[in-house]
Amino acid sequence: MRIVIVGNSVAAINAIEAIREKDKISSITVISDENYRAYSHPLLPNLVIGEVSRSEERFYYRRQKFYEEFKVETILGKRVVKILPKQKAVKLDNAQKIEYDKLLLAVGGNPVKPPIDGLELEGVHTLTNIKAADKLRKDLKNINRVVVVGAGLIGSKIAEKLAKKGKKVVLVELARRVLFPVLDDEAANLIHKELKKLGVELILNDSVVAVDGDKRVKSVKLKSGKTIDADGCIVAVGVAPNAQLAKDANLEVNRGVVVNDFMQTSNEDIFAAGDVAEAYDLVLGQKRPIPILPLAAAQGRIAGLNMLSLGVKYRGGFASNSISIGDVSFISMGIVDSDELEVLKIKKDGEYRKFLIDEDNRLKGMILVGNIEKAGMFHWMIKNRFDVSWIKDTFLNSDFGWKYFNKAFRVLRLDRKIK
Amino acid sequence: MKVVKIKEDNCVYCHLCEVACIVEHSQSKDIIKAFKREERPIARCSVEFNYPVSLSVMCRHCDDAPCIEACQNGSMHRDERGYVVVNPDTCVGCWMCIMACPYGVIKRDTRREVFGLSTKCDLCPDREIPACVEACPNEALTYEEL
Repeated sequence: MRIVIVGNSVAAINAIEAIREKDKISSITVISDENYRAYSHPLLPNLVIGEVSRSEERFYYRRQKFYEEFKVETILGKRVVKILPKQKAVKLDNAQKIEYDKLLLAVGGNPVKPPIDGLELEGVHTLTNIKAADKLRKDLKNINRVVVVGAGLIGSKIAEKLAKKGKKVVLVELARRVLFPVLDDEAANLIHKELKKLGVELILNDSVVAVDGDKRVKSVKLKSGKTIDADGCIVAVGVAPNAQLAKDANLEVNRGVVVNDFMQTSNEDIFAAGDVAEAYDLVLGQKRPIPILPLAAAQGRIAGLNMLSLGVKYRGGFASNSISIGDVSFISMGIVDSDELEVLKIKKDGEYRKFLIDEDNRLKGMILVGNIEKAGMFHWMIKNRFDVSWIKDTFLNSDFGWKYFNKAFRVLRLDRKIK
Repeated sequence: MKVVKIKEDNCVYCHLCEVACIVEHSQSKDIIKAFKREERPIARCSVEFNYPVSLSVMCRHCDDAPCIEACQNGSMHRDERGYVVVNPDTCVGCWMCIMACPYGVIKRDTRREVFGLSTKCDLCPDREIPACVEACPNEALTYEEL
């Protein structure tokens, strides 16, 4: 069988690993417009300031020999311009055609381009791939005062990193807090404090309407009328599923490529996984793109197995994030803010814990700040719709752990009898 | 696959498993040096106590290891024995493994200058029987097939 994978990041690599666990014979071809082996996207801000280097294994997702070891043919630096479902082939930008029996779309997302004038000026950057990161890194010597547009994961992280490098950073966010969907006001305030400590100027409830300058950025104009002098601007307002290829091939697409429980698109020989796909969110009970790395890995794996017709169902996932800003670590998952759910929370020095529970006593979301070490136990409870009625009283204890569980359950779980 | 089986009825909350783990993962593997002279490693098992319950908990080495799935650069991986271990030279301390670990047994070592290091049970690759098991005076920890 000929398996072709478009894209070469987390979902693609996990698909390859899953396929090779079961099938040593089929040919696997990976096509990517990026001329690099798979790397870690969350480390791009670290790459920009030189905290990790391109020569280090730390930056890459798998070791150098990966493609050789897993017998993968790579076509790097070439873009797929068209899928030809009838011919079961993809067309590359050099007009070459690659035939497939099963195709996986793992093409990720594209940076969202907000309606701002002047984005074509020198000194304006995005930060969603290695090329953009290299460009920003080379431009750093020309940047002393930088405006970061959007305080999501990338925006907050690069603001922190550049401030640490001694740059004057202004972070502009449309919402009333940083990391809006990931944190609540209380937790976000702690990030605000950490950012301010590092010297980042934070402007909330405002947006950038124009970037001004002749050839290079000179200033940035805000909706509120304010003008900020700047010689650099980083646009980080989010990523959107890169669904154009799928659309052109007449696959079903909403915001992302629609897939069934087997990560199969509306064409039975084409699969999709990762940031490009719209898979089941088991907290919200609907399909939507959730562009986070662990879900791309899980979906890639499932897609890989199903390309071999193994019929493995994807149970769904939910949003979860781990972020450290300054000296404080945050982990949040599921629904983090709600008026309808039961909310348990506690704040004490350096620690914040919050849990959201529905009327059936199922955990729907949580935030941990400071003391994050048992976070995954809550992840398990959310994923398995665990009845928390008898244990939720202990969630707010800093020493939450196995000792609070029912003995019979605990013994079975620790003996790996309940998965 | 053999892992450490936890028999909580036998546990007397003595913390010797933690001591043995610290010594085993120290530079010198000498108890005095490990505790007094060198930078003391973090124990990869933890004793929990809530009268009358006490038990020592460490990595269960899941077949589907969610920590490996969550790792952003392949630092968390399966070694040649099939156990889940972290590469200390490449870990960047993003704590996504902690976010994903269903047993809550991955700890943070934040003493490194640049990146933190996630620290977890590696089932003592240099030993036939893990140090915690050997040190347990009461067979509250045993090394066996689960």
